[in-house]
Amino acid sequence: MSKTSKPSIESQEPHWIEWATGVVSGLLVLGLIGWVGYDAVTKEQAPPDFRIEATPAEPTSAGYRIRFDITNTSTTTAAAVNVRGEARKADGTVEGAETTFDYVPAGSSASGALIFSQDPTGLVVKIRAAGYTEP
Amino acid sequence: MGTAANFGQGTDDPRQFIVGLARGAAGALLFGVPMLMTMELWQMGFYIDRSRLLLLLLVNIPLLILLARRIGFEKTTGWLQAVRDAVTAYALAIFISAAVLLLFADLRLELSLSAVVGKVAIQAVPASIGALLGRAQLQGGGDSGSDDEEDEGGEADSGTLSSSYSHELFLMAVGALFLNLNVAPTEEIILIAYKMSGFHALACVVVSILIMHGFVYAVAFKGSHELPPDTPWWHALIRFTLPGYVVAMVISLYVLWTFGRLDDTAMMQVLMATIVLSFPGAIGAAAARLIL
Repeated sequence: MSKTSKPSIESQEPHWIEWATGVVSGLLVLGLIGWVGYDAVTKEQAPPDFRIEATPAEPTSAGYRIRFDITNTSTTTAAAVNVRGEARKADGTVEGAETTFDYVPAGSSASGALIFSQDPTGLVVKIRAAGYTEP
Repeated sequence: MGTAANFGQGTDDPRQFIVGLARGAAGALLFGVPMLMTMELWQMGFYIDRSRLLLLLLVNIPLLILLARRIGFEKTTGWLQAVRDAVTAYALAIFISAAVLLLFADLRLELSLSAVVGKVAIQAVPASIGALLGRAQLQGGGDSGSDDEEDEGGEADSGTLSSSYSHELFLMAVGALFLNLNVAPTEEIILIAYKMSGFHALACVVVSILIMHGFVYAVAFKGSHELPPDTPWWHALIRFTLPGYVVAMVISLYVLWTFGRLDDTAMMQVLMATIVLSFPGAIGAAAARLIL
């Protein structure tokens, strides 16, 4: 923009498209405010709650990998979500594996994997969220 | 004077070309160094979705050309010159990014070629904008008259969309994109979004718009964006500030998507992160209207 000679853009006669753009933008911003506002008023603050869906183990060069999706079904976000898996063998010994998610946002999911040294196929495998912090 | 504006290309004097390159390099460094020293951006080089990175790199090309056409040019230069300028700025930015990352021991032999290219490519986008801006700002006020020529040319064919209005929106987009690229890769953006309640987000929207409007119309340098006395204040709000905020939001959404921050994320969380990122975006957009 010129700082001296030219009349400012504000003083020019506006084209109708400028008003159209402005009105559409205004409606979008109002819609945004309405949406967020509605959500803020109606949303109940429930603590994080997790659902985990795992796939069957697959061999990798680092061991046997079980991939899973963790979904936070609640309305608040959880941070530092610790997920632990246990594979219980027939002789009673247990192999554990764990991983941590930086965040699992509210109503959203994240993916990760646990890696076991021995094939957990056919064993009882439990994967659960073991803890989290509030962001 | 004017030839220095376009890296001195097309002149007989090689010194002017070198001075132009040096100004571009200085601009790339000045505007690029916050990103070159951000850990999240280094890591982004490993895992950013390659098709999204490609799209960002491609989008940057017309953006640079338009920007080169827009800022600090002598009257005679045409589109060809703008294209050459944009390409030079991009190349300069790639070189500077690679050199600085090498200096900071971030590019190492153990890395895969794909990771190295990814790291440099991400940095080159903001740095190339910086190369153009820096060169335009560093060369002094010698040829600021060029803007007027262009604008008048645009207004002459009134009846179509006023070209100065689309320029204004374009500048806001560039300003928003630049500040967004600065902060979007950091974890703080999503962390802030997670900490905020809906009421915080509402306040953030309102404050962003107020800052944006105030930046241009309350603290504007004399003569740049003065409102005519007979025009109500809300005219400028509707014609410029609200569209500008929407532009900032769209750019924020695009940048967050590019960096993979929106994947598998609930709509409300997407909205919150966009609102948070639009705060710096709005400041960048307003600043661009004043500075460029």
